[in-house]
Amino acid sequence: MASSASQLSLAAVQSGYGRVKVVQNVSLEVATGEIVAVIGRNGVGKSTLMKTIIGEIAPMSGAVSFRGLDVTRLDAARRARLGVGYVPQGRDVFARMTVGENLALGRRVGGAPAANLERVFGFFPILEKRLAQPAGSMSGGEQQQLAIGRILAGRPDIILLDEPSEGVQPNIVQEIGRIIRRLRDEERLTVLIVEQNLSLIRAVADRCVIMDKGAVVGEIAPEALDDPETAARYLSI
Amino acid sequence: MEWSGQVFSWIYQYFDNMAFLLLAASGLILIYGMMGVINMAHGELMMIGAYVASAAFYVGAPAPVAIVAAGLVAGLVGIAMERLVIRHFYNQLLSSLVVTWGLSLILSQGVLLALGPSTMNMPTPFGSFSVGGFSFGVYRMVLFATAIGLIAGVWALFRFSSFGVAARAAMENPRMASALGVDTKRVYTATFAIGSALGGIAGALFAQTAAISPFFGQNYTPMAFITVVMGGGASAILGLVYAALYLAGVQTIASNVFNQYVGYVSIMAAAFIGLLVMPSGISDFVQKRRARRMAR
Ligand SMILES: Nc1ncnc2c1ncn2[C@@H]1O[C@H](COP(=O)(O)OP(=O)(O)OP(=O)(O)O)[C@@H](O)[C@H]1O
Ligand SMILES: [Mg+2]
Repeated sequence: MASSASQLSLAAVQSGYGRVKVVQNVSLEVATGEIVAVIGRNGVGKSTLMKTIIGEIAPMSGAVSFRGLDVTRLDAARRARLGVGYVPQGRDVFARMTVGENLALGRRVGGAPAANLERVFGFFPILEKRLAQPAGSMSGGEQQQLAIGRILAGRPDIILLDEPSEGVQPNIVQEIGRIIRRLRDEERLTVLIVEQNLSLIRAVADRCVIMDKGAVVGEIAPEALDDPETAARYLSI
Repeated sequence: MEWSGQVFSWIYQYFDNMAFLLLAASGLILIYGMMGVINMAHGELMMIGAYVASAAFYVGAPAPVAIVAAGLVAGLVGIAMERLVIRHFYNQLLSSLVVTWGLSLILSQGVLLALGPSTMNMPTPFGSFSVGGFSFGVYRMVLFATAIGLIAGVWALFRFSSFGVAARAAMENPRMASALGVDTKRVYTATFAIGSALGGIAGALFAQTAAISPFFGQNYTPMAFITVVMGGGASAILGLVYAALYLAGVQTIASNVFNQYVGYVSIMAAAFIGLLVMPSGISDFVQKRRARRMAR
Protein backbone atom coordinates (compact mmCIF):
# COMPACT_ATOMS: atom_id res chain seq x y z
CA MET A 1 0.00 0.00 0.00
CA ALA A 2 1.29 3.44 -0.93
CA SER A 3 2.06 5.87 1.83
CA SER A 4 -0.11 8.92 2.34
CA ALA A 5 2.75 11.02 0.97
CA SER A 6 1.98 13.69 -1.57
CA GLN A 7 0.88 12.29 -4.92
CA LEU A 8 0.68 15.65 -6.65
CA SER A 9 2.39 18.81 -5.61
CA LEU A 10 2.29 22.28 -7.16
CA ALA A 11 4.70 24.98 -6.03
CA ALA A 12 3.91 28.58 -6.99
CA VAL A 13 2.75 27.61 -10.47
CA GLN A 14 1.98 30.37 -12.96
CA SER A 15 0.75 29.62 -16.45
CA GLY A 16 -1.43 30.90 -19.26
CA TYR A 17 -1.73 31.37 -22.98
CA GLY A 18 0.96 33.27 -24.86
CA ARG A 19 1.84 36.17 -22.61
CA VAL A 20 -1.54 36.20 -20.86
CA LYS A 21 -1.11 34.82 -17.39
CA VAL A 22 -4.16 32.91 -16.16
CA VAL A 23 -3.01 30.71 -13.28
CA GLN A 24 -1.49 32.88 -10.56
CA ASN A 25 0.94 31.47 -8.07
CA VAL A 26 -0.93 28.25 -7.28
CA SER A 27 0.48 25.89 -4.65
CA LEU A 28 -1.35 22.68 -3.86
CA GLU A 29 -0.73 19.28 -2.31
CA VAL A 30 -2.87 16.24 -3.03
CA ALA A 31 -2.17 13.17 -0.91
CA THR A 32 -2.34 9.59 -2.20
CA GLY A 33 -5.91 8.35 -2.12
CA GLU A 34 -7.34 11.81 -1.61
CA ILE A 35 -10.21 13.27 -3.66
CA VAL A 36 -9.84 17.02 -4.01
CA ALA A 37 -12.42 19.18 -5.77
CA VAL A 38 -11.42 22.44 -7.43
CA ILE A 39 -14.32 24.87 -7.45
CA GLY A 40 -14.79 28.43 -8.64
CA ARG A 41 -16.86 30.43 -11.04
CA ASN A 42 -16.68 30.28 -14.84
CA GLY A 43 -13.46 31.49 -16.38
CA VAL A 44 -11.36 31.64 -13.20
CA GLY A 45 -8.76 29.30 -14.67
CA LYS A 46 -9.70 25.83 -13.42
CA SER A 47 -9.24 24.14 -16.78
CA THR A 48 -6.02 26.04 -17.39
CA LEU A 49 -4.73 24.71 -14.07
CA MET A 50 -5.60 21.15 -15.11
CA LYS A 51 -3.87 21.57 -18.48
CA THR A 52 -0.79 22.84 -16.68
CA ILE A 53 -0.74 19.84 -14.36
CA ILE A 54 -0.97 17.30 -17.15
CA GLY A 55 1.62 19.12 -19.26
CA GLU A 56 -0.53 20.36 -22.11
CA ILE A 57 0.70 23.87 -21.35
CA ALA A 58 4.09 24.62 -19.82
CA PRO A 59 4.18 26.76 -16.70
CA MET A 60 5.75 30.22 -16.87
CA SER A 61 7.23 29.58 -13.45
CA GLY A 62 6.88 27.25 -10.51
CA ALA A 63 7.09 23.47 -10.32
CA VAL A 64 4.84 20.44 -10.72
CA SER A 65 5.76 17.08 -9.16
CA PHE A 66 4.24 13.63 -9.01
CA ARG A 67 5.19 11.45 -6.07
CA GLY A 68 8.14 13.69 -5.42
CA LEU A 69 9.37 13.55 -9.01
CA ASP A 70 9.71 16.96 -10.65
CA VAL A 71 7.87 16.76 -13.98
CA THR A 72 7.81 20.47 -14.79
CA ARG A 73 9.98 19.97 -17.86
CA LEU A 74 8.24 16.81 -19.10
CA ASP A 75 5.68 16.90 -21.89
CA ALA A 76 2.13 15.57 -21.58
CA ALA A 77 2.95 12.20 -23.13
CA ARG A 78 5.68 11.48 -20.62
CA ARG A 79 3.55 12.57 -17.68
CA ALA A 80 0.78 10.29 -18.93
CA ARG A 81 3.22 7.40 -18.96
CA LEU A 82 4.11 8.20 -15.35
CA GLY A 83 0.51 7.42 -14.39
CA VAL A 84 -1.43 10.64 -14.84
CA GLY A 85 -4.90 10.17 -16.35
CA TYR A 86 -6.81 13.13 -17.73
CA VAL A 87 -10.43 13.58 -18.72
CA PRO A 88 -10.70 17.05 -20.25
CA GLN A 89 -13.70 19.32 -20.18
CA GLY A 90 -15.69 18.36 -23.27
CA ARG A 91 -14.32 14.79 -22.95
CA ASP A 92 -12.34 14.76 -26.25
CA VAL A 93 -13.06 11.21 -27.24
CA PHE A 94 -11.62 10.37 -30.64
CA ALA A 95 -14.86 10.72 -32.54
CA ARG A 96 -13.75 9.03 -35.75
CA MET A 97 -12.33 6.04 -33.93
CA THR A 98 -14.33 3.21 -32.41
CA VAL A 99 -15.03 2.83 -28.72
CA GLY A 100 -12.70 -0.16 -28.71
CA GLU A 101 -9.87 1.84 -30.31
CA ASN A 102 -10.33 4.66 -27.81
CA LEU A 103 -10.02 2.14 -24.99
CA ALA A 104 -7.05 0.40 -26.61
CA LEU A 105 -5.24 3.71 -26.74
CA GLY A 106 -5.92 4.35 -23.07
CA ARG A 107 -4.71 0.90 -22.09
CA ARG A 108 -1.54 1.30 -24.13
CA VAL A 109 -0.24 4.13 -21.90
CA GLY A 110 0.04 2.12 -18.75
CA GLY A 111 0.89 -1.13 -20.52
CA ALA A 112 -2.01 -2.65 -18.56
CA PRO A 113 -3.04 -6.23 -19.45
CA ALA A 114 -6.04 -6.79 -21.69
CA ALA A 115 -7.92 -8.20 -18.71
CA ASN A 116 -7.97 -4.68 -17.33
CA LEU A 117 -10.61 -3.84 -19.91
CA GLU A 118 -12.92 -6.30 -18.16
CA ARG A 119 -12.60 -4.18 -15.06
CA VAL A 120 -13.54 -1.08 -17.09
CA PHE A 121 -16.57 -2.88 -18.55
CA GLY A 122 -17.54 -3.77 -14.99
CA PHE A 123 -17.74 -0.04 -14.23
CA PHE A 124 -19.28 0.99 -17.56
CA PRO A 125 -21.16 -1.94 -19.13
CA ILE A 126 -22.40 0.25 -21.98
CA LEU A 127 -18.85 0.43 -23.40
CA GLU A 128 -18.67 -3.30 -23.96
CA LYS A 129 -21.88 -3.19 -25.98
CA ARG A 130 -20.61 -0.32 -28.13
CA LEU A 131 -17.08 -1.52 -28.84
CA ALA A 132 -17.32 -1.34 -32.63
CA GLN A 133 -19.28 1.92 -32.77
CA PRO A 134 -17.60 5.23 -33.70
CA ALA A 135 -17.17 7.16 -30.45
CA GLY A 136 -18.52 10.33 -32.04
CA SER A 137 -21.92 8.73 -32.56
CA MET A 138 -22.53 8.17 -28.85
CA SER A 139 -24.52 10.44 -26.52
CA GLY A 140 -22.79 12.93 -24.23
CA GLY A 141 -23.19 10.71 -21.19
CA GLU A 142 -21.86 7.69 -23.02
CA GLN A 143 -18.87 9.69 -24.28
CA GLN A 144 -18.13 10.79 -20.73
CA GLN A 145 -18.15 7.18 -19.59
CA LEU A 146 -15.81 6.34 -22.46
CA ALA A 147 -13.45 9.20 -21.56
CA ILE A 148 -13.27 7.97 -17.96
CA GLY A 149 -13.09 4.31 -18.97
CA ARG A 150 -10.30 5.16 -21.39
CA ILE A 151 -8.00 6.45 -18.67
CA LEU A 152 -8.97 3.74 -16.19
CA ALA A 153 -7.93 1.21 -18.84
CA GLY A 154 -4.35 2.46 -18.41
CA ARG A 155 -4.39 2.04 -14.62
CA PRO A 156 -3.28 5.56 -13.67
CA ASP A 157 -2.22 6.51 -10.15
CA ILE A 158 -3.94 9.86 -10.27
CA ILE A 159 -6.80 11.09 -12.42
CA LEU A 160 -7.79 14.63 -13.26
CA LEU A 161 -11.42 15.13 -14.19
CA ASP A 162 -12.57 18.45 -15.64
CA GLU A 163 -16.30 18.89 -15.09
CA PRO A 164 -17.30 15.27 -15.75
CA SER A 165 -20.95 16.08 -15.00
CA GLU A 166 -21.26 18.66 -17.76
CA GLY A 167 -24.04 17.69 -20.17
CA VAL A 168 -24.52 14.30 -18.52
CA GLN A 169 -27.86 13.06 -17.21
CA PRO A 170 -28.20 12.94 -13.38
CA ASN A 171 -28.33 9.17 -12.94
CA ILE A 172 -25.07 8.78 -14.86
CA VAL A 173 -23.49 11.56 -12.82
CA GLN A 174 -24.43 9.62 -9.70
CA GLU A 175 -22.96 6.47 -11.16
CA ILE A 176 -19.72 8.28 -11.99
CA GLY A 177 -19.60 9.52 -8.39
CA ARG A 178 -19.99 5.99 -7.05
CA ILE A 179 -17.25 4.69 -9.33
CA ILE A 180 -14.82 7.42 -8.29
CA ARG A 181 -15.48 6.62 -4.64
CA ARG A 182 -15.00 2.94 -5.19
CA LEU A 183 -11.71 3.39 -7.05
CA ARG A 184 -10.39 5.49 -4.23
CA ASP A 185 -11.61 3.19 -1.48
CA GLU A 186 -10.49 -0.03 -3.14
CA GLU A 187 -7.38 1.05 -5.05
CA ARG A 188 -6.27 4.27 -3.38
CA LEU A 189 -6.66 6.16 -6.65
CA THR A 190 -5.92 9.86 -6.22
CA VAL A 191 -8.44 12.24 -7.79
CA LEU A 192 -8.39 15.92 -8.63
CA ILE A 193 -11.80 16.96 -9.91
CA VAL A 194 -13.05 20.30 -11.22
CA GLU A 195 -16.79 20.45 -10.61
CA GLN A 196 -19.77 22.78 -10.47
CA ASN A 197 -22.27 20.03 -9.66
CA LEU A 198 -23.01 20.21 -5.97
CA SER A 199 -24.29 16.67 -5.56
CA LEU A 200 -21.25 15.16 -7.28
CA ILE A 201 -18.88 17.23 -5.16
CA ARG A 202 -20.74 16.15 -2.03
CA ALA A 203 -20.68 12.53 -3.14
CA VAL A 204 -16.93 12.30 -3.70
CA ALA A 205 -14.82 15.18 -2.38
CA ASP A 206 -12.74 15.09 0.78
CA ARG A 207 -12.05 18.81 0.54
CA CYS A 208 -12.67 21.70 -1.84
CA VAL A 209 -10.05 24.12 -3.10
CA ILE A 210 -11.50 27.47 -4.14
CA MET A 211 -10.13 29.30 -7.17
CA ASP A 212 -10.73 32.89 -8.08
CA LYS A 213 -9.03 34.96 -10.78
CA GLY A 214 -6.45 32.26 -11.37
CA ALA A 215 -5.39 31.92 -7.73
CA VAL A 216 -6.27 29.48 -4.98
CA VAL A 217 -8.04 31.71 -2.48
CA GLY A 218 -9.07 29.21 0.15
CA GLU A 219 -10.32 25.81 1.07
CA ILE A 220 -13.59 24.57 2.54
CA ALA A 221 -15.14 21.31 3.61
CA PRO A 222 -17.64 19.91 1.09
CA GLU A 223 -20.38 20.02 3.75
CA ALA A 224 -20.05 23.79 3.83
CA LEU A 225 -21.56 23.84 0.33
CA ASP A 226 -24.86 22.60 1.77
CA ASP A 227 -25.41 26.19 2.77
CA PRO A 228 -27.05 27.70 -0.34
CA GLU A 229 -25.31 31.05 0.09
CA THR A 230 -21.87 29.46 0.21
CA ALA A 231 -22.69 27.28 -2.78
CA ALA A 232 -23.90 30.29 -4.75
CA ARG A 233 -20.67 32.14 -3.99
CA TYR A 234 -18.32 29.41 -5.28
CA LEU A 235 -20.27 27.51 -7.91
CA SER A 236 -21.78 28.94 -11.09
CA ILE A 237 -25.22 27.44 -10.96
CA MET B 1 -10.29 -14.31 -81.69
CA GLU B 2 -9.53 -10.64 -82.44
CA TRP B 3 -12.18 -9.21 -80.12
CA SER B 4 -11.05 -11.10 -77.04
CA GLY B 5 -7.61 -9.57 -77.45
CA GLN B 6 -9.14 -6.13 -77.91
CA VAL B 7 -11.32 -6.44 -74.81
CA PHE B 8 -8.41 -7.78 -72.79
CA SER B 9 -6.29 -4.91 -74.05
CA TRP B 10 -8.77 -2.39 -72.66
CA ILE B 11 -8.86 -4.11 -69.31
CA TYR B 12 -5.09 -4.37 -69.31
CA GLN B 13 -4.73 -0.67 -70.05
CA TYR B 14 -7.20 0.18 -67.32
CA PHE B 15 -5.21 -1.80 -64.76
CA ASP B 16 -1.94 -0.40 -66.05
CA ASN B 17 -3.24 3.17 -65.79
CA MET B 18 -4.56 2.50 -62.30
CA ALA B 19 -1.26 1.01 -61.20
CA PHE B 20 0.50 4.16 -62.39
CA LEU B 21 -1.74 6.46 -60.37
CA LEU B 22 -1.88 4.22 -57.29
CA LEU B 23 1.89 3.86 -57.08
CA ALA B 24 2.69 7.47 -57.89
CA ALA B 25 0.18 8.84 -55.37
CA SER B 26 0.08 6.37 -52.47
CA GLY B 27 2.80 7.94 -50.32
CA LEU B 28 1.68 11.43 -51.20
CA ILE B 29 -1.93 10.88 -50.20
CA LEU B 30 -0.97 9.09 -47.00
CA ILE B 31 1.01 12.14 -45.89
CA TYR B 32 -1.70 14.53 -47.05
CA GLY B 33 -4.52 12.62 -45.41
CA MET B 34 -2.74 12.12 -42.12
CA MET B 35 -0.93 15.43 -41.76
CA GLY B 36 -2.44 17.98 -44.11
CA VAL B 37 0.71 18.70 -46.10
CA ILE B 38 1.33 18.02 -49.76
CA ASN B 39 4.91 17.06 -50.35
CA MET B 40 5.87 18.48 -53.75
CA ALA B 41 9.22 16.74 -53.36
CA HIS B 42 7.51 13.35 -53.48
CA GLY B 43 8.62 12.88 -57.08
CA GLU B 44 12.22 13.45 -55.97
CA LEU B 45 11.84 10.72 -53.37
CA MET B 46 10.74 8.51 -56.26
CA MET B 47 13.78 9.64 -58.24
CA ILE B 48 16.03 8.75 -55.30
CA GLY B 49 14.33 5.36 -55.11
CA ALA B 50 14.93 4.83 -58.82
CA TYR B 51 18.65 5.62 -58.52
CA VAL B 52 19.08 3.46 -55.45
CA ALA B 53 17.30 0.54 -57.10
CA SER B 54 19.33 0.74 -60.28
CA ALA B 55 22.59 1.11 -58.35
CA ALA B 56 21.70 -1.92 -56.24
CA PHE B 57 20.69 -3.80 -59.35
CA TYR B 58 23.99 -3.09 -61.11
CA VAL B 59 26.04 -4.26 -58.16
CA GLY B 60 24.16 -7.53 -58.43
CA ALA B 61 21.33 -7.30 -55.92
CA PRO B 62 18.17 -9.18 -56.88
CA ALA B 63 15.24 -6.92 -57.86
CA PRO B 64 13.25 -7.36 -54.62
CA VAL B 65 16.31 -6.38 -52.58
CA ALA B 66 16.88 -3.36 -54.81
CA ILE B 67 13.28 -2.29 -54.30
CA VAL B 68 13.43 -2.65 -50.52
CA ALA B 69 16.72 -0.72 -50.47
CA ALA B 70 15.05 2.07 -52.45
CA GLY B 71 12.22 2.22 -49.92
CA LEU B 72 14.65 2.32 -47.00
CA VAL B 73 16.80 5.09 -48.44
CA ALA B 74 13.77 7.18 -49.45
CA GLY B 75 12.32 6.63 -45.97
CA LEU B 76 15.54 7.89 -44.38
CA VAL B 77 15.62 10.92 -46.67
CA GLY B 78 11.98 11.48 -45.70
CA ILE B 79 12.89 11.40 -42.00
CA ALA B 80 15.55 14.03 -42.58
CA MET B 81 13.12 16.19 -44.57
CA GLU B 82 10.47 15.90 -41.88
CA ARG B 83 12.82 16.66 -39.00
CA LEU B 84 14.49 19.63 -40.65
CA VAL B 85 11.69 21.23 -42.66
CA ILE B 86 8.23 19.74 -42.91
CA ARG B 87 7.68 19.54 -39.13
CA HIS B 88 7.19 23.30 -39.06
CA PHE B 89 4.46 23.30 -41.68
CA TYR B 90 1.90 20.72 -40.60
CA ASN B 91 -1.65 21.64 -41.53
CA GLN B 92 -0.44 24.65 -43.50
CA LEU B 93 -1.27 23.54 -46.99
CA LEU B 94 0.02 26.55 -48.92
CA SER B 95 3.27 27.05 -47.03
CA SER B 96 3.97 23.35 -47.23
CA LEU B 97 3.47 23.46 -51.00
CA VAL B 98 5.98 26.26 -51.44
CA VAL B 99 8.55 24.84 -49.07
CA THR B 100 8.43 21.32 -50.46
CA TRP B 101 8.53 22.65 -54.00
CA GLY B 102 11.80 24.30 -52.98
CA LEU B 103 13.00 20.98 -51.59
CA SER B 104 12.13 19.28 -54.85
CA LEU B 105 14.26 21.76 -56.80
CA ILE B 106 17.17 21.35 -54.40
CA LEU B 107 17.03 17.56 -54.63
CA SER B 108 16.72 17.33 -58.40
CA GLN B 109 19.39 19.99 -59.03
CA GLY B 110 21.61 18.37 -56.43
CA VAL B 111 21.41 15.01 -58.17
CA LEU B 112 22.00 16.74 -61.51
CA LEU B 113 25.19 18.30 -60.12
CA ALA B 114 26.34 15.07 -58.52
CA LEU B 115 25.52 12.57 -61.25
CA GLY B 116 25.11 14.65 -64.39
CA PRO B 117 22.19 14.77 -66.80
CA SER B 118 22.70 11.37 -68.42
CA THR B 119 19.98 8.80 -68.04
CA MET B 120 20.18 5.27 -66.75
CA ASN B 121 18.07 2.28 -67.56
CA MET B 122 17.00 -0.90 -65.88
CA PRO B 123 15.67 -3.84 -67.88
CA THR B 124 11.97 -4.64 -67.61
CA PRO B 125 11.63 -8.11 -66.12
CA PHE B 126 9.23 -10.98 -66.81
CA GLY B 127 8.77 -10.68 -70.61
CA SER B 128 5.34 -10.78 -72.19
CA PHE B 129 2.31 -12.90 -72.96
CA SER B 130 -0.29 -12.71 -75.71
CA VAL B 131 -4.05 -12.79 -75.81
CA GLY B 132 -5.99 -12.93 -79.09
CA GLY B 133 -3.04 -11.76 -81.14
CA PHE B 134 -2.18 -8.85 -78.78
CA SER B 135 1.02 -8.86 -76.78
CA PHE B 136 1.14 -7.71 -73.14
CA GLY B 137 3.99 -7.08 -70.69
CA VAL B 138 3.76 -9.22 -67.56
CA TYR B 139 5.54 -6.59 -65.50
CA ARG B 140 2.66 -4.12 -65.82
CA MET B 141 0.36 -6.60 -64.11
CA VAL B 142 2.98 -7.21 -61.45
CA LEU B 143 3.01 -3.46 -60.86
CA PHE B 144 -0.73 -3.46 -60.37
CA ALA B 145 -0.64 -6.38 -57.97
CA THR B 146 2.22 -4.77 -56.06
CA ALA B 147 0.32 -1.49 -55.83
CA ILE B 148 -2.71 -3.26 -54.38
CA GLY B 149 -0.51 -5.21 -51.98
CA LEU B 150 1.28 -2.08 -50.76
CA ILE B 151 -1.94 -0.16 -50.29
CA ALA B 152 -3.61 -3.05 -48.46
CA GLY B 153 -0.53 -3.32 -46.24
CA VAL B 154 -0.56 0.37 -45.36
CA TRP B 155 -4.31 0.24 -44.78
CA ALA B 156 -3.96 -2.72 -42.41
CA LEU B 157 -1.07 -1.03 -40.58
CA PHE B 158 -3.12 2.07 -39.85
CA ARG B 159 -6.32 0.16 -39.23
CA PHE B 160 -5.17 -2.58 -36.90
CA SER B 161 -1.74 -2.01 -35.41
CA SER B 162 -1.19 -0.18 -32.16
CA PHE B 163 0.99 2.28 -34.08
CA GLY B 164 -1.95 2.85 -36.43
CA VAL B 165 -4.36 3.56 -33.60
CA ALA B 166 -1.90 6.00 -32.04
CA ALA B 167 -1.28 7.64 -35.41
CA ARG B 168 -4.97 8.15 -36.13
CA ALA B 169 -5.48 9.54 -32.63
CA ALA B 170 -2.59 11.96 -33.13
CA MET B 171 -4.10 13.14 -36.42
CA GLU B 172 -7.58 13.60 -35.00
CA ASN B 173 -6.68 15.33 -31.75
CA PRO B 174 -2.97 15.72 -31.06
CA ARG B 175 -3.41 17.32 -27.65
CA MET B 176 -5.60 14.52 -26.34
CA ALA B 177 -3.34 11.91 -27.91
CA SER B 178 -0.36 13.40 -26.03
CA ALA B 179 -2.36 13.36 -22.81
CA LEU B 180 -2.77 9.63 -23.40
CA GLY B 181 0.95 9.10 -23.78
CA VAL B 182 1.29 9.22 -27.56
CA ASP B 183 4.55 10.81 -28.70
CA THR B 184 2.93 12.79 -31.50
CA LYS B 185 6.19 14.06 -32.99
CA ARG B 186 7.46 10.53 -33.41
CA VAL B 187 4.16 9.47 -34.93
CA TYR B 188 4.40 12.27 -37.51
CA THR B 189 7.98 11.41 -38.35
CA ALA B 190 7.12 7.73 -38.71
CA THR B 191 4.10 8.44 -40.90
CA PHE B 192 6.13 10.75 -43.09
CA ALA B 193 8.84 8.11 -43.36
CA ILE B 194 6.30 5.48 -44.42
CA GLY B 195 4.89 7.84 -47.08
CA SER B 196 8.41 8.60 -48.31
CA ALA B 197 9.33 4.92 -48.41
CA LEU B 198 6.24 4.27 -50.53
CA GLY B 199 7.56 6.94 -52.90
CA GLY B 200 10.97 5.29 -53.02
CA ILE B 201 9.44 1.88 -53.71
CA ALA B 202 7.25 3.34 -56.44
CA GLY B 203 10.34 4.97 -57.97
CA ALA B 204 12.17 1.65 -57.92
CA LEU B 205 9.24 -0.09 -59.61
CA PHE B 206 8.90 2.59 -62.29
CA ALA B 207 12.67 2.57 -62.81
CA GLN B 208 12.16 -0.76 -64.56
CA THR B 209 9.86 0.85 -67.11
CA ALA B 210 11.33 4.32 -67.69
CA ALA B 211 14.62 6.12 -68.10
CA ILE B 212 16.16 7.35 -64.85
CA SER B 213 17.39 10.93 -64.71
CA PRO B 214 17.56 13.71 -62.10
CA PHE B 215 14.14 14.85 -63.34
CA PHE B 216 12.61 11.38 -63.22
CA GLY B 217 10.15 12.58 -60.55
CA GLN B 218 8.58 15.12 -62.87
CA ASN B 219 7.03 12.29 -64.87
CA TYR B 220 4.95 11.38 -61.84
CA THR B 221 4.41 14.44 -59.65
CA PRO B 222 1.61 16.07 -61.70
CA MET B 223 -0.49 12.90 -61.94
CA ALA B 224 0.16 12.00 -58.31
CA PHE B 225 -0.87 15.49 -57.29
CA ILE B 226 -4.11 15.33 -59.30
CA THR B 227 -4.93 11.91 -57.90
CA VAL B 228 -4.46 13.15 -54.34
CA VAL B 229 -6.60 16.24 -54.84
CA MET B 230 -9.28 14.17 -56.53
CA GLY B 231 -9.14 11.55 -53.77
CA GLY B 232 -9.37 14.09 -50.95
CA GLY B 233 -8.06 13.92 -47.42
CA ALA B 234 -11.11 12.53 -45.60
CA SER B 235 -9.93 8.97 -46.02
CA ALA B 236 -6.54 8.66 -47.65
CA ILE B 237 -6.67 5.05 -48.76
CA LEU B 238 -10.27 5.00 -49.96
CA GLY B 239 -9.77 8.36 -51.66
CA LEU B 240 -6.77 7.01 -53.51
CA VAL B 241 -8.66 3.96 -54.71
CA TYR B 242 -11.72 5.95 -55.80
CA ALA B 243 -9.60 8.52 -57.61
CA ALA B 244 -7.55 5.87 -59.40
CA LEU B 245 -10.66 3.95 -60.48
CA TYR B 246 -12.22 7.12 -61.84
CA LEU B 247 -9.25 8.87 -63.44
CA ALA B 248 -7.76 5.72 -64.97
CA GLY B 249 -11.20 4.84 -66.36
CA VAL B 250 -11.52 8.18 -68.13
CA GLN B 251 -7.93 7.96 -69.33
CA THR B 252 -8.40 4.46 -70.77
CA ILE B 253 -11.54 5.41 -72.66
CA ALA B 254 -10.09 8.66 -73.98
CA SER B 255 -6.85 7.11 -75.15
CA ASN B 256 -8.71 4.38 -77.02
CA VAL B 257 -11.26 6.72 -78.61
CA PHE B 258 -8.60 9.31 -79.44
CA ASN B 259 -4.94 8.70 -78.65
CA GLN B 260 -2.47 8.36 -75.77
CA TYR B 261 -1.88 12.07 -75.51
CA VAL B 262 -5.59 12.89 -75.28
CA GLY B 263 -5.87 10.11 -72.73
CA TYR B 264 -3.21 11.75 -70.59
CA VAL B 265 -4.78 15.19 -70.84
CA SER B 266 -8.21 13.73 -70.14
CA ILE B 267 -7.06 12.95 -66.59
CA MET B 268 -6.84 16.66 -65.96
CA ALA B 269 -10.21 17.30 -67.54
CA ALA B 270 -11.74 14.48 -65.50
CA ALA B 271 -10.26 15.88 -62.30
CA PHE B 272 -11.49 19.36 -63.18
CA ILE B 273 -15.05 18.15 -63.65
CA GLY B 274 -14.86 15.85 -60.64
CA LEU B 275 -13.70 18.69 -58.41
CA LEU B 276 -16.54 20.93 -59.58
CA VAL B 277 -18.97 18.32 -58.29
CA MET B 278 -16.90 17.24 -55.27
CA PRO B 279 -14.72 20.22 -54.29
CA SER B 280 -12.88 18.46 -51.47
CA GLY B 281 -12.38 15.19 -53.27
CA ILE B 282 -14.21 11.91 -53.63
CA SER B 283 -13.52 10.49 -50.17
CA ASP B 284 -14.82 13.63 -48.50
CA PHE B 285 -17.92 13.55 -50.71
CA VAL B 286 -18.62 9.90 -49.92
CA GLN B 287 -18.04 10.41 -46.20
CA LYS B 288 -20.42 13.38 -46.02
CA ARG B 289 -23.13 11.50 -47.88
CA ARG B 290 -22.75 8.53 -45.60
CA ALA B 291 -22.94 10.81 -42.53
CA ARG B 292 -26.10 12.43 -43.91
CA ARG B 293 -27.66 9.02 -44.47
CA MET B 294 -26.74 7.94 -40.92
CA ALA B 295 -28.23 11.13 -39.49
CA ARG B 296 -31.57 10.32 -41.09
N1 LIG C 1 -6.80 28.42 -25.47
C1 LIG C 1 -6.92 29.61 -24.85
N2 LIG C 1 -6.27 30.69 -25.34
C2 LIG C 1 -6.37 31.89 -24.73
N3 LIG C 1 -7.08 32.11 -23.61
C3 LIG C 1 -7.75 31.09 -23.08
C4 LIG C 1 -7.71 29.78 -23.67
N4 LIG C 1 -8.47 28.95 -22.93
C5 LIG C 1 -8.96 29.70 -21.92
N5 LIG C 1 -8.53 30.98 -22.00
C6 LIG C 1 -8.84 32.06 -21.05
O1 LIG C 1 -8.30 31.73 -19.80
C7 LIG C 1 -9.19 32.06 -18.77
C8 LIG C 1 -9.48 30.84 -17.92
O2 LIG C 1 -10.11 29.85 -18.68
P1 LIG C 1 -10.39 28.40 -18.14
O3 LIG C 1 -10.95 27.61 -19.24
O4 LIG C 1 -9.19 27.90 -17.46
O5 LIG C 1 -11.52 28.70 -17.05
P2 LIG C 1 -12.45 27.70 -16.26
O6 LIG C 1 -12.35 28.09 -14.83
O7 LIG C 1 -12.12 26.31 -16.60
O8 LIG C 1 -13.89 28.08 -16.81
P3 LIG C 1 -15.20 27.17 -16.99
O9 LIG C 1 -15.81 27.02 -15.65
O10 LIG C 1 -16.04 27.96 -17.90
O11 LIG C 1 -14.76 25.87 -17.59
C9 LIG C 1 -10.44 32.64 -19.43
O12 LIG C 1 -10.35 34.04 -19.38
C10 LIG C 1 -10.34 32.17 -20.84
O13 LIG C 1 -10.91 33.11 -21.71
MG1 LIG D 1 -13.13 24.83 -17.53
